[in-house]
Amino acid sequence: MFRFAVIAICFWALPLAVSAVEVPEGLIALDGRPAPALKLTDLDGKITDLAELRGHWAMVHFWASWCVPCRLELPAIATMVKTKPESLALVMVNTAETDDEVFAFLSAVAPELTTLLDRDGQVTERWQPRGLPSTFFVDPEGRLRYLALGGRPWDSPAYRRFLASLGR
Amino acid sequence: MNRPLLVALWVAALWAPAAAAQPAYSGQGIEMRVEPRTPEQISAFYEARGFPRAAVEALSKACFITVGIQNRREDIVWLEPARWEFFDAAGRPVERLPRAYWEARFEKLGVPPASRATFGWTQLPEVRDLRPAEPVGGNVTLVPVRGTFTLVARFATGSDRRGPVIALRFDKLTCPGR
Repeated sequence: MFRFAVIAICFWALPLAVSAVEVPEGLIALDGRPAPALKLTDLDGKITDLAELRGHWAMVHFWASWCVPCRLELPAIATMVKTKPESLALVMVNTAETDDEVFAFLSAVAPELTTLLDRDGQVTERWQPRGLPSTFFVDPEGRLRYLALGGRPWDSPAYRRFLASLGR
Repeated sequence: MNRPLLVALWVAALWAPAAAAQPAYSGQGIEMRVEPRTPEQISAFYEARGFPRAAVEALSKACFITVGIQNRREDIVWLEPARWEFFDAAGRPVERLPRAYWEARFEKLGVPPASRATFGWTQLPEVRDLRPAEPVGGNVTLVPVRGTFTLVARFATGSDRRGPVIALRFDKLTCPGR
């Protein structure tokens, strides 16, 4: 009985903890459908599988170096990474560029960030972002909960509060 | 940085040198900018992204118009380029080349998936329910026109599309270099 009560409280409290913080302008709530599969390598060949991040929130960010709003947003992401909760995983996905293009760009603009490479663009297609850049928030159960419309000021107070709430 | 500026910068900087005219409209809750591109701009952009030669040649023969839109209304604005009218100075319709056209063309040319994906992200979506404050940017492609042409962009509004239809008109557009 006690175990049942604890589980029930956890299920009740998880969405409440997030909803207690105001969702910043520019984020829209999604319907909670399961996130598409995402298993890609980074420039060093290290594999990241979104399924293995279950149990924590993940911020999945699609970008390309030729996309100017993506480039303008990168400094805010680089700043945000330093203050985000450790338990919130940032999963950056470059869309359909080569290793050389990504390495040349990131090493010059945001060397502290690492990205996965969707070399043929097919993973991005499955996620169906509304454009580039696009950022999805995947809840600890692997469901799509929020989508950012275009580039966002991730290092602003409203977004910091929101991101902090995902780490609780 | 505010979002209209971001959209404008994206539209302006996606292609290096800007064409001479940059028609823009702001009113009725919609901001819209339309910018024709030269064949050289198209070639340079896609060539730099590793597109096959045959694809670059095909793309540079089309007329590219870069469009940036931001919904400033409190309801949904429906972006549906298929509802837009393009017509030349004599009133003859100008054909738009939708994504399906390019997909078929790229299939024949054997364009690799990565290039197709990149091309897709540089195009205006075929349908998008633009949320309040949401920006969108990308190209529409046309069969090249000699002389000037007009665009009448129509937008349904409201989540059920039953709100007022907004029509924006851009006159004296050109396909540069034609």
